Amino acid sequence: MKQNYIYAPNLTSEFKCKVPLQGTRQLFIVNGRVQGGRSPFSLRLEEGEAMEEILQIISVRHKSYKEELSTQQDFHFGKGSVGRIIQCSHTFSPDRFVTTEKVTITVERDASAEFCIMQNEHNNAEHNTSYEANLAEGASLNMVFLSLHGGIIRNEIVVNLNGSHAQCDLAGLYLTDSRQLMDNNIHLNHLVPYCTSSQLFKGILDDEGVARFYGLIKVAPDAQKTEAYQANHNLLISDKAKAHTKPQLEIYADDVKCSHGATMGRLNEDELFYMRTRGIPAAEARILQQKAFAHEVLEKISNTQLRERMLNLVERRLRGEFSHCKNCTNHCC
Amino acid sequence: MNNDNIMLKISGLKVSIDDREILTGVNLEVRPGEVHAIMGPNGSGKSTLSAVLAGNENFKVTEGEVLFEGEDLLKLSPEERSWAGVFLGFQYPIEIPGVTNVNFIKTAINEHRKRKGLPELSAAQFLKLMRERMAYVDMDSSFTSRGVNVGFSGGEKKRNEIFHMAMLEPKLAILDETDSGLDVDALRIVASGINRLKTPQNATIVITHYQRLLDYIVPDYIHVIYKGSIIKSAGRELAREIEQRGYDWLIN
Repeated sequence: MKQNYIYAPNLTSEFKCKVPLQGTRQLFIVNGRVQGGRSPFSLRLEEGEAMEEILQIISVRHKSYKEELSTQQDFHFGKGSVGRIIQCSHTFSPDRFVTTEKVTITVERDASAEFCIMQNEHNNAEHNTSYEANLAEGASLNMVFLSLHGGIIRNEIVVNLNGSHAQCDLAGLYLTDSRQLMDNNIHLNHLVPYCTSSQLFKGILDDEGVARFYGLIKVAPDAQKTEAYQANHNLLISDKAKAHTKPQLEIYADDVKCSHGATMGRLNEDELFYMRTRGIPAAEARILQQKAFAHEVLEKISNTQLRERMLNLVERRLRGEFSHCKNCTNHCC
Repeated sequence: MNNDNIMLKISGLKVSIDDREILTGVNLEVRPGEVHAIMGPNGSGKSTLSAVLAGNENFKVTEGEVLFEGEDLLKLSPEERSWAGVFLGFQYPIEIPGVTNVNFIKTAINEHRKRKGLPELSAAQFLKLMRERMAYVDMDSSFTSRGVNVGFSGGEKKRNEIFHMAMLEPKLAILDETDSGLDVDALRIVASGINRLKTPQNATIVITHYQRLLDYIVPDYIHVIYKGSIIKSAGRELAREIEQRGYDWLIN
């Protein structure tokens, strides 16, 4: 495996993960600067190359630089290559950080890429991402977005399926409370025949949290035999939480299978009562229900150890522990 | 009999939902070691009684009282009733996708233990207990990793209810139409599970439509509920009579 990117820089211990995930190598980006390597970050997998380890890219905003920041990351997966990436973004202090991040992903013929994106920031932070992915014939891209905490998080995701038999699976979980805003804006473009895509975005909204979901599946005139699915489900925990959802289909081909759906709901009272009759206190029962709701998205994380960690993080988040601990981002990975 | 020995005492219980009175004055006493059957035609208030005893907040108690071991049961939350030893087996067990049966029952068990001042069970202890109790109702281990009741057949759901009961070891089990939707084999399994859990210290109230269940679970008392109150109480022989003559002779 070619080492055209650099890991494990000498950082102060505050940035280090106490227990790194097994089978991962870590790269740190502090205030937009790649530690021990060239900025902006770029990863290029050569033809047939398979990354043995997961690359975990940890981007942190630190109070030593409080200006607005624009960063970029580029990923290129050469023909038939296989790679797995974890992207984590954190703020290390409750300052007003504004970060704009542009990520480009190119997945060449028959290559396969997996991304798990974890966003865990303070309430004053604003993080705008824009992902643009291009998939060639037979390429596969799976992405899971976990927007756990943050003042404003906006993810714009554009996926172009440029080669036939390309496959893209997008999933997202967003959790809001206080007055947080989380926004997912997705354009899935089926440009050629025989491609498949699915989107599953779920949100749990508490307090005065607001979520927006805009999802568009666009099927070009020639893109016959397209299969494209999209679902957005929102769980409203409080009376003041809001979710706006706009699932959309634009289909210009006639031989396709497409579906979209969106729901808004509350915690199920019958489930709650059932659990309570078994001795599970109401508050605990509500956490269980929310975990269950989130489970469908977390299940998409293929690495079991990472999935376990994310489950724990989500549970802690649902118990409101982030807000009790200003520096807890230090312990999340 | 000594009043101190009454486990459950229901007096003049009136219950409404949406201003419609469903229970119009129920009286019932249950002592440790007893099995009571509550029978009656559809819509007579059987399930309402069980729901109220378990603490379902959709129903409003307008009059009367319920004492459980001398304490006011009605002021307790559903979970507090569970900790006190009351169990409701649901007629229609709820499906909870995403919560595995094993996590669900483990959480419940540990909450019970917490209230008794006991430490949580270790993974090994829990597994051992669970295996043992699953055997009571002939459940195989594949049920544990599935979502609570998700994709379970009618019979599997009812077996799961009895499994929960076996794990929680309640003092008073109220089993609401546990026999509905069961074929003969499933009925036998469920009934033998219930019988196995019977001790001189605990009590069971079975709510049923049919005499069929009572071939397997032999009650000490049978009560017929009609239009919200108990119109007849007798020994187990009443079930046969109802089987032969229906409810009409009791109602008129």
